[in-house]
Amino acid sequence: MRVDRGSFSRVSNAGGPQGHRPVTAAALLLSLVLGACGGGSGTGSSGAGTSAGVSGSTGASALATGNTATASDSTASADGAVAAAAAAVTTGTGSVALMAPGTANQPRPTTVGDAVRLADQGSFGPTEASIVDIQAKGASAWLISQMIMPQASHYTSGGDGTIHQTTKEGVAFCEGREPDCWRDRFSAEPLLWDFYRNAVKKPDQLRQRVAFALQQILVINNTDVQGTYGFRNYYNTFLDNAFGNYRDVLRKVTLSPIMGDFLNNVNNLAEAPNENYARELLQLFSIGPCKLNADGSLVNGQCEATYSNETVRNYAYALTGWTFPAGGSNGYGCFPGGTNCRYYGGDMVPVARYHDNQPRALLSNVTLPAGHTASDALEKVLDSVMNHPNIAPFIAKRLIQHLVSSNPTPAYVQRVATAFRTGRYGDFGRDHTGDLDATVAAVLLDSEARGETVSRNAGKLREPVLMFTGVLRALNGQTDGDALSWWWGKRLRQHMFRPPSVFNYFPPNNPVAGTDLNGPEFAIHEASTALERLNFLTYLIEWEGSSPNPAIPNATGTTIDLSPFMVDINDSTKLVDRFSTLLLGRPLQGAARTSVIDAVAWWNLDRAGVNWQKCRVKSAVYMILASPQYQVQR
Amino acid sequence: MMKPHTHHHAHSAAPASLDRRRWLQRSGAGLATALGAGTVGNLLLGAKPAHAADYKALVCIFLYGGNDGMNTIVPTDAGRYNQYAAVRKGLALPRESLVNLSGINYGLHPALAGLAPAWRDGTLAPVFNVGTQTRPMSKAEYRASIGIAGALPDNLFSHSDQQTQWEAGTSSSFTRTGWGGRASEALNTVNPVISVGGSTRFGQTDQQSPLVLPAHPGETFGAQLLMPQDMTWQPRIDRKAILEQLYAQSQDLALAEAYGKVQHNAFVVSERLTNLVKIAPGSPGASAVIDAAFAPIMSGSSITTELGNQLYQVAKLIYGNATVQGSRQIFFTQMDNFDTHAGQVITGSPTEGNHARLLKELGDALGCFNTAMKNLGLGDAVTAFTQSDFGRTFVPNTTNGTDHGWGSHHLVVGGAVKGGTSYGLYPDLTLGGQNDIGVESWEMHGRWLPSTSMEQYAGTLLGWFGVNDTQARQILPNLARYGVTKLGFV
Repeated sequence: MRVDRGSFSRVSNAGGPQGHRPVTAAALLLSLVLGACGGGSGTGSSGAGTSAGVSGSTGASALATGNTATASDSTASADGAVAAAAAAVTTGTGSVALMAPGTANQPRPTTVGDAVRLADQGSFGPTEASIVDIQAKGASAWLISQMIMPQASHYTSGGDGTIHQTTKEGVAFCEGREPDCWRDRFSAEPLLWDFYRNAVKKPDQLRQRVAFALQQILVINNTDVQGTYGFRNYYNTFLDNAFGNYRDVLRKVTLSPIMGDFLNNVNNLAEAPNENYARELLQLFSIGPCKLNADGSLVNGQCEATYSNETVRNYAYALTGWTFPAGGSNGYGCFPGGTNCRYYGGDMVPVARYHDNQPRALLSNVTLPAGHTASDALEKVLDSVMNHPNIAPFIAKRLIQHLVSSNPTPAYVQRVATAFRTGRYGDFGRDHTGDLDATVAAVLLDSEARGETVSRNAGKLREPVLMFTGVLRALNGQTDGDALSWWWGKRLRQHMFRPPSVFNYFPPNNPVAGTDLNGPEFAIHEASTALERLNFLTYLIEWEGSSPNPAIPNATGTTIDLSPFMVDINDSTKLVDRFSTLLLGRPLQGAARTSVIDAVAWWNLDRAGVNWQKCRVKSAVYMILASPQYQVQR
Repeated sequence: MMKPHTHHHAHSAAPASLDRRRWLQRSGAGLATALGAGTVGNLLLGAKPAHAADYKALVCIFLYGGNDGMNTIVPTDAGRYNQYAAVRKGLALPRESLVNLSGINYGLHPALAGLAPAWRDGTLAPVFNVGTQTRPMSKAEYRASIGIAGALPDNLFSHSDQQTQWEAGTSSSFTRTGWGGRASEALNTVNPVISVGGSTRFGQTDQQSPLVLPAHPGETFGAQLLMPQDMTWQPRIDRKAILEQLYAQSQDLALAEAYGKVQHNAFVVSERLTNLVKIAPGSPGASAVIDAAFAPIMSGSSITTELGNQLYQVAKLIYGNATVQGSRQIFFTQMDNFDTHAGQVITGSPTEGNHARLLKELGDALGCFNTAMKNLGLGDAVTAFTQSDFGRTFVPNTTNGTDHGWGSHHLVVGGAVKGGTSYGLYPDLTLGGQNDIGVESWEMHGRWLPSTSMEQYAGTLLGWFGVNDTQARQILPNLARYGVTKLGFV
């Protein structure tokens, strides 16, 4: 399995046994004969009609229009305080220090800059409405509201367990079935649709972000295993437990039958156990291979191994003796004897005769006495890793890297690690090691994540998935995920649910050339993907995305709605600053701001015909989205 | 785990950056130059390209996941073959199925039939039992080193660590640069390492990432509406200029500046190479010689395997040297999925299965590439070599597969290779013997203590490439601990 560099596409795996539809057929482009903005000849013809109407409304109602598109993810009330803040956002002159009313116990007001930053860290990206909401509540109250709201996001799409309930021998399940059988019943594509729809629209944003982080630590992929209902069960674990406890997450992952297939721990027999899961459990899912101080630094500045080959072997033995849950059948029987046939509809179940019950020494002074059961052994395995001094800094650092910053200071890591270890951060947490409420609160409320002063080493490169969702949310967009799958997901090397291996799309440690810094997301950012980032923006903004593909259930295509911004087209400065506020939380830096304003102002009726207004909006938003200030979140 | 690189392992100094300032100046000139002497028009069908007289290219083929060397090349003398078959059991390749390597008592996995012509030409050499290592050590020394930080390569059986170390050319998982990158710096090459296999630490230097180009011939490589041919309309001109301004501006975040540099570099490189990258088999500008050499793995005008596509791209870039420029070039390609814990073979049919499929892709693509280089008259100028995380256990597991090992066997192919014989020391196949690191009964699985280090292997390749002994020891810090620094296979 390739570790260190991105989801390098392999033609042979594309689309599974049936082969995949060419991506261009799956995504029909709107405005293919370009409107005036995109046309190469620049004759200013009106071209294809625009899909978004022009709004002549005032600032307040422009915001309301924006609210309509994103109402479901904002709990902003309609009170005067919010409206005042809203007006400030939409008519902002680029000033950062907007004073939001906030709640009574908010120590200091949340600025626009901080609200945008928090939206990038704890949601799939800001919208004009969500900025208002975060400013009104303040970071802590926003966090609370996200943690207590009912779970809205689940994976529900795709086929069921009948794929593993056949009686015919030697006949592929999809033979003679509908053309999209593999896609709908075996692949993770239906989850991809759910993922993107939820990410752009559903209000439980933080839950989804935490789940997205967890699935990049506890990795499986659709290139090596298949079974849509199995994937649903696996990935729902992260959504369900995002605010629970990491120990429970580890237990569910260990007992997941699809993980059992992915890392060979299902039907893993005591006589000669396969070490794959045991090794990755230690190396990637819990403690890591080198001893860590509480702040995540290497003990004695070098790698002192946390485990030996013998330890891995002991864990492999300890984890033997699990089989699929009952419910599966096939035409030739279940092997080896005494196990269940492949079935992903539940947790794995123990098979005593295949479980090694010899005394085994695990880590953290945890031992297995002779005669233990598979279930006993599992709890002891979990005890041993949850009690290991490494797990808190190891998981703390991963979560910080997925939510906030690639280069946290050791002190920041230590504060988050303490929250993980004690299960408590301020009022958050239930005082058990591994509490995710406490840990996530520590990550997002820490002064390194908040605060007006940001170190030069802060931030992280927006990974492709977060760029897709960020742009769509900010621009009142919608998607059914189709265009972000085999097309843009693959091109940008982050195809949801298809990381190249258990080591995810990019490794946690990736040196950024020309700096002393770490940048995991830079591992999939090179000459080709650099240009494809721009091509994605061109596709979505200039070409206006994709119209619905009838092969997708409840298709919507992938589009944005720029109409709320049309109200500001007569003032290029205002337009540019409005986008900057929304997307960057502050003005575009340096001399480029003036260049962008001038380039936006270039468009007029003579040069571009009746579409000149839309061209202004498109050109402003494109350039701000393309800026390093946007692409590297703060 | 990630810490600013202020501490070094006791056993390995960080490799020095050679001539850094000169390299920065030179590489800036090389990359910033527009098309220069070469254009698509120069790449006439069949014409021998005008290369510098001493042009040399190294082509790395990284086999991610840990290739099972023990089934890649198998001893064929009765004694050792029987030992092999007895241990490998259901995974043992039948002796008669092996591709015979005349003159030596070994045969290749039947799926590597594509390399048989290279053996006949004397341009293929196996190198046995190569692995990461801090210094030469016996089994007793290895056992005594377990648990002592820095005495052994970091995390020997971990994919991520071993991949990093093979790419970095050190036994530390914290080295930020790659030996391909450092060698390019040392020789002041015009281009950094060129990868058609995605990003890779192998090509990284402190200041520069490898140049990553699309893996597939015909792929578009450019920013739409922003390419040179689009610069005829004011809005496009403005947009391009503004993007360049944004990329060149200083930023308050270091990562944002790094981002800007990658973006700017992408523009420069795509303008120079986009036409060359787009050339596909049979399209204008394609080399008939290269196309003919890859015909065995084409279907219509498409190449049918991933590695085949990558090596076609490399062949094209070597052929198109007038555009690519430079007299020394390192390339990086890769395959994945070699981590055959399960399904390495099909029960009852060991010549089939996942490993066979992977080796067929490797052997066929590499065979075609080698033919292309030979027929272009560039055989002596191009040397391809494999790398991999580690080998695999000699003893199989219960899921028709093998687990993580250490030393493994590698293949080197090219006109300059002194083929027809083997290099390195094939391990003693006794479980728990002098080459098997296992001592307890439960760990005698045939994980081989390497008899050749990764550095000796890389050092041999670099010596041919033009790196001198002093430079080699700086690029590969552990090399200084070895008496033999060049193995003689090229």
